[in-house]
Amino acid sequence: MSTERRVLPGTGATPRAGVGTVVWYDPGTELPDPPEGGVDAAAERERFADARETAEAELERERERTAESVGEEEAAVFDAHVQFINDPTIADAVEDAINDGLPAPNAVHGAFAEHIEQFEGMDGRMAERADDLRDVRDRLVRILTDGDRVDLAALPEGSVVLAERLTPSDTAQLDPERVAGFATVTGGRTSHAAIFARSLALPAVVGVGDALFDVPDDAEVMVDGDAGELVVAPTDEERAAASETDAAEVRPDPVSTADGKGIEVAANVGQPAEVEPAVQRGADGIGLYRTEFLFLDRESPPDEDEQFETVVEALDAFPDGRVVVRTLDVGGDKQVPYLDLPEEENPFLGERGIRRSLGPDADLFETQLRALLRAAAAGDGDLAVMFPLVATVEELEAALDRVDEVAADLAAEGVDHALPELGVMIETPSAAFVADELAARVDFLSIGTNDLAQYVMAAARENDRVADLHDPFHPGVVRAIRRTVEAGHEGDAWVGMCGEMAGDPEATELLVGLGLDELSMSAVTIPDVKANVEATDTDAAADLAADAGAAGTRTKVLERIHRS
Amino acid sequence: MSAERTVTVVPEDGLHARPAAAFVEAANEHDAEVEVGAADGDLVAAGSMIAVTSLGVASGDDVRLVAEGDDAEAALDALTDILTTPEDELDA
Repeated sequence: MSTERRVLPGTGATPRAGVGTVVWYDPGTELPDPPEGGVDAAAERERFADARETAEAELERERERTAESVGEEEAAVFDAHVQFINDPTIADAVEDAINDGLPAPNAVHGAFAEHIEQFEGMDGRMAERADDLRDVRDRLVRILTDGDRVDLAALPEGSVVLAERLTPSDTAQLDPERVAGFATVTGGRTSHAAIFARSLALPAVVGVGDALFDVPDDAEVMVDGDAGELVVAPTDEERAAASETDAAEVRPDPVSTADGKGIEVAANVGQPAEVEPAVQRGADGIGLYRTEFLFLDRESPPDEDEQFETVVEALDAFPDGRVVVRTLDVGGDKQVPYLDLPEEENPFLGERGIRRSLGPDADLFETQLRALLRAAAAGDGDLAVMFPLVATVEELEAALDRVDEVAADLAAEGVDHALPELGVMIETPSAAFVADELAARVDFLSIGTNDLAQYVMAAARENDRVADLHDPFHPGVVRAIRRTVEAGHEGDAWVGMCGEMAGDPEATELLVGLGLDELSMSAVTIPDVKANVEATDTDAAADLAADAGAAGTRTKVLERIHRS
Repeated sequence: MSAERTVTVVPEDGLHARPAAAFVEAANEHDAEVEVGAADGDLVAAGSMIAVTSLGVASGDDVRLVAEGDDAEAALDALTDILTTPEDELDA
């Protein structure tokens, strides 16, 4: 059967594409009609008890598999599911319904209904609980009705799974070696399914809407997680392009453009567990090591030795590379119980980043700098340290003074230490405007495009109503980047980028053309970006960057990128 | 025997996902009847995952624990432990 090419827009979960054959996934939870003559209540109660046991055993297996393939944090959702299965409120309601004459599956369905509805009406985290409850309910109903469902763990190679929704349990069973991708009717970028997809580097498009139901089983489709589209009956060209993306091999060594300019491709890391995956995906080093994980989730700040050890571990993981550690960046949307952060009307325009390190958190800052300077002498790789949210030259000078003081203290104490490379994160428009002054005082600049776009466009990152404005391809942001790179190089500083844009394979040529020396991103896109760097010619890239810098609208910037 | 105390919640996610699961499991492991709620709010059964997560307790919130039964103190000790342990230090 020849199907016509169609493009169904949705939300991309992973910046990867995959091509394959559609397998529609039905959770197998059709409810039977209750029998006319009532039920044997004792037998139904026993069936319910058995189903709970079976469900718990299934959850235990899925928990183990997920902990292995995705991570301990994601696996935790199954602990919650076990507790939902054993909830006394549910058990009581099921028992009452069975006593009223309902068979067990219908009783289970009814017992969850009210709670699902209650959670659905709430926002954020609480709405996620509705998904958890639905997941648990469907599992019990399926077990009770011997419902058939496609075995997601045993799909033929090259399958693309389509479903109304995929629960965490479903997604955890997908084997990225065999499944080419998935697309769902519901869900957004932060849904469980999307987060799992990113962890597994699996192409995925979520939130396609009801149009997805029209795509038949066995159709050939391309899941384009990059563009956020499901393409039915893709052209041969699209297929080739998709399989090329998929074929991006891990390049363990540093890469250069086609004409020989070396570009450092590094990983953004948020906690120690992400260091090893970064090495495996071919990172040259770490371009942004966020240190907040050391401070969040606890009652008192970490001591100097704990911080020292964490940084040395990262340096040892990249003996020939560089690890850029960002000093504590709290405030804004990041809360830390023991720091007593002020409640501010505009936290993103308030006391955050370096402003706190030079003010109320001066002691923490000193401890962190001591740990860093000691680590610089002890670890295998090269350490670099950068300061977040710098807006003025005075702030930078004050921070550099602190480094000098700490170095002098360590010297006086006879403690082994070394001075790391020092740099500034360019996130505020003022920093971009005075980048020449900043560059004259440090070794490097690193552009944080997420915050830079937020501040240049005056559009909050978390506000869906202005999401369109929060896009680094707007000329205002592109020009701020260009200005920063030029000013950095004039001041003999190398210039990197550690925002989402750096990991967008579509942006690689533009960024090389703008003159970036280093790109740092989530580990998952490193192979793609390294492949793109090798395919880039610096002259053509410079032309592209000049045109993009001269473009007046976001549309024109994107048109120019798509043309090359 | 009955006991009561107020605890500030440490895990970053508040009483959701893993901390909530550990909390409910511990509540059910003890003989005492334990109830939990916001410091100034209504109490719900600590052994019900639905009831506990519907409280919407966030990190930094104060919660009140009330236990009734033989091992009330032990139950509260165990629950306090979970509420004050950062998530990444909870036993898997």
